[in-house]
Amino acid sequence: MSDPAGRGLETRSLTVRYGGLVANSEVSISVRPGQVVGLIGPNGAGKTTFVDAVTGFTRCEGEILLDGVRIDALAPHLRRGSGLSRTWQSGELFGNLSVAENLLAAARKSGWATVVRDLFGRRRAGAGRDVVDSALAVVGLEDVADTLARDLTLGQQKLVGVARALAGGCEVLLLDEPAAGLDSMESQAFAARVRSIAEGNGSGQGPGILLIDHDMSLVLGVCDVVNVLEFGKLIFSGTPAEARTDPTVVAAYLGAPVEASHA
Amino acid sequence: MQTYLQFAVLGLGLGAIYIGLGTGLLLVHRATGIINFAQGAMAMWGAYVFAQLRLDGTLMLPIGSIDLGRRPTVAVAALIGLVTAVLLGLVAHYLVFRPVRNAPVLAQVVVSVALMITIQALVVLRFGPNNIKVDSILPEGSWSLAGIELSSREILMTLIMAALSAVVWAYMRFTRAGVATRAASENERAAVLMGFSPDRLAAVAQVIASVLGTVAVTLGSALTGLNPENYTLLVVPALAVLLVARMESIGIVVVAAIVLGAFQSIIGLLVTKPWWPVWAQSGFDQIIPFAVVMVILFVLGRRLPSRGSLQTVRLPDVVIPRLRLVPAVVLAVVGVAALALTSGSYRFGITTSIIVMLLALSYVVLTGYLGQISLAQGAFAGAAGFTLSKVTSNLGVPFPLSVILCGLVASALGMLVALPAFRIRGAQLAIVTIAAALAIERFVFNNYSLTPPEGNPIAAATLFGINLSVREGRDLSRLSFSLMVLVIAALLVWMFIRLASGDTGRAFLAVRANERAAASSGINVRMTKLIGFGISAFIAGIAGCLIGLSRGQLSAESFTVFAGLQVLAVAYLGGITSVGGAMVAGVLGPLGIVYVLLRGVFDLGAYYPLISGLGLILTAILNPVGVAGATREQVAWVRRRLSRGGTAEPPPVADATPKPKEPSHV
Ligand SMILES: Nc1ncnc2c1ncn2[C@@H]1O[C@H](COP(=O)(O)OP(=O)(O)OP(=O)(O)O)[C@@H](O)[C@H]1O
Ligand SMILES: [Mg+2]
Repeated sequence: MSDPAGRGLETRSLTVRYGGLVANSEVSISVRPGQVVGLIGPNGAGKTTFVDAVTGFTRCEGEILLDGVRIDALAPHLRRGSGLSRTWQSGELFGNLSVAENLLAAARKSGWATVVRDLFGRRRAGAGRDVVDSALAVVGLEDVADTLARDLTLGQQKLVGVARALAGGCEVLLLDEPAAGLDSMESQAFAARVRSIAEGNGSGQGPGILLIDHDMSLVLGVCDVVNVLEFGKLIFSGTPAEARTDPTVVAAYLGAPVEASHA
Repeated sequence: MQTYLQFAVLGLGLGAIYIGLGTGLLLVHRATGIINFAQGAMAMWGAYVFAQLRLDGTLMLPIGSIDLGRRPTVAVAALIGLVTAVLLGLVAHYLVFRPVRNAPVLAQVVVSVALMITIQALVVLRFGPNNIKVDSILPEGSWSLAGIELSSREILMTLIMAALSAVVWAYMRFTRAGVATRAASENERAAVLMGFSPDRLAAVAQVIASVLGTVAVTLGSALTGLNPENYTLLVVPALAVLLVARMESIGIVVVAAIVLGAFQSIIGLLVTKPWWPVWAQSGFDQIIPFAVVMVILFVLGRRLPSRGSLQTVRLPDVVIPRLRLVPAVVLAVVGVAALALTSGSYRFGITTSIIVMLLALSYVVLTGYLGQISLAQGAFAGAAGFTLSKVTSNLGVPFPLSVILCGLVASALGMLVALPAFRIRGAQLAIVTIAAALAIERFVFNNYSLTPPEGNPIAAATLFGINLSVREGRDLSRLSFSLMVLVIAALLVWMFIRLASGDTGRAFLAVRANERAAASSGINVRMTKLIGFGISAFIAGIAGCLIGLSRGQLSAESFTVFAGLQVLAVAYLGGITSVGGAMVAGVLGPLGIVYVLLRGVFDLGAYYPLISGLGLILTAILNPVGVAGATREQVAWVRRRLSRGGTAEPPPVADATPKPKEPSHV
């Protein structure tokens, strides 16, 4: 998995320090297009930190490559622009906007050119609505399109977060505990959705997905590759079958009682 | 060298005041998380009471006064002044700041600005707008140091204030209440666990701050006399001092205050030197606090600890506007009819209302949509008006090109002020913008070599041979001018609605709601802020040009910091998130039609600033959606009642408890 010109996301020796705390230590992970990669580990292991570092929300050392091109110097919005999309553990929707507007905010461009177009361009009624509808269809939430984001349940907010990350297209999707807040039935449905996103919803290849979750059956069931973090270090990387039997993983994580859902 | 030392010592008079205000600001911020822009105004009230007692033995109250028969001694008068300060601290806490303790930062900034406007207006009403003399408590005299005569009063003053600050420091350090106050600034529950009520601690802090400021101003104003505007605005350099001390260290407040005071005084000496450029003579000392603020915020950036910055500005929801033909036509007809059917001062009042509506609209863009606080809108307007006088009278640029050009100049200035907004937000941004506004007012508008005292003439506009000037012969408010204002306003409102309902408006709202989520959605947050400041300042700039044209010349009085803050007051009162709110603001705004009616019919014009200040305090506390928002909610509620006939709940007003957020890394 160290193909330098490899497609998708790749990190090399990613290290994040918060003061004296090393929250990520030399983490090298790759996510190829169409692949579902799990990232698990106990609370405080550094999973969110990894996503923050990759998407440019926290300073880090090491290299981050997207489709073989280094992106570590780019501002967060430019990383998104080059195809790296993420969700947030705490939802972080635009609470005062409707669900559709949330998705449009991500899908539509903004800038000086947009100002000119807004002022003098022709308006099409419902511009961009197809993007919204298709992204909402992926997570099965078409019927809440006009609800205010803050009026959704936590589970729904997480799913809208996934739809917002998908809106406008992406190459790699980083999902930080997207299923927290769903019951086990919904969680299974969600697993099927994750797979179908990675498979491009039947249209050939979809984006690569990094899935963080505390729900073991979800992660082990849906992922092609599983990575395990502990105290910021990558202690395991392999298939779900290997993970189930690996003694370090069992000792560090699986052996301990696993919370089914964790917000 | 000797003269420099003497001037530095003279500057200690200012330094002593900065120590008092700065320490108070720090204490209040520690205890409540609020930055009190009214600190200077509050401190001034007790000093005025003292001064008035010593002048003629009248104890002036906010309403009414007591004649003590004869002038009390200095000690008695000073004691009464301090008791006033204690009461004012309590009133400020229980009636003004406590109700907004969990409110969004914007409401807190607005409330303290409103208190500042209110006290300042009250001082003007009760004590008059002019400088009054203040008895000196400390003896005049001089000490000589190595053969140099140094004024002893300023040194004594500084020592007293430094000693009082040391007492506050000891209170924070060694008393359980003080330690609890410090703990409360990180976590209110910590104070509760220590057995203290954060609310009581906050009240104590307000009282101490008020007393400290009052002592400082009472001592310091003996040197210069008291003046409502100057002393209210001394809060700006004190805020610079507060930032230097990173809002934490009283020791640094004292040192920074002394250095700043001395430095400003030395600047006062330097500008009189023959080699100093004439154009930079006036107001240069006011550049320094602004420069300090900018350097501190840029160098320290987001490392400044602040409870305020942990909250995002939460504002009332926005109803995305749509261009609708019928309301637009109705409004246009009403506007034309109102202008055509009136004349003289009433028509002029309506015209001013339309212009103020534009100023309020600039706040709607920046604050309502983008969630950024700016106290410099008046300065943007002034900069455009100022440029207009230059380009029309010196360069002969024709209308309407001249106005557009000046709007763009304001826009550029706005984007410059936006740069600090990349790193800071909330109350800190309010500090930067008020410091910028003050620097621009003093350095540009009040600078006689740039703005002659007799005013800058502005050539009247003509278009296709039509005379658009505001006066002609005995007609002081011509219809064609008013109609031009209406047309320009309509164009700008149309532009605003196009933007607000488009992708730009949505990006603004996304940034307002959550900056890091916006960045992770591919929105360039910095660019968006730049655009927001640019558009907002453009609108304010056009309004400034219209103010200039309506006066026929430009005078600094039209664009003081206070004029800008008064517009903020009415913009918030009307409703800062909608065009409707801006329209209400225009009607209520300074020199607008309500003002004209107050003055003409009820003879209450002098009370206008006071009424707008009090109205703003009440709005910010009770009704954050403003008049327009509240009306809209009531209409929606009545509609639902009618359509359902059931028991619809009244809609909740904006959620007043923002959830704490992790610091953003954008
Ligand atoms: N901004 C920050 N500043 C300082 N320390 C931080 C910051 N963010 C996270 N940490 C610390 O870094 C470590 C890793 O945190 P992180 O949020 O990445 O864990 P996580 O694996 O996502 O945990 P969880 O399963 O609870 O979401 C924790 O010890 C946390 O306290
Ligand atoms: Mg996490």
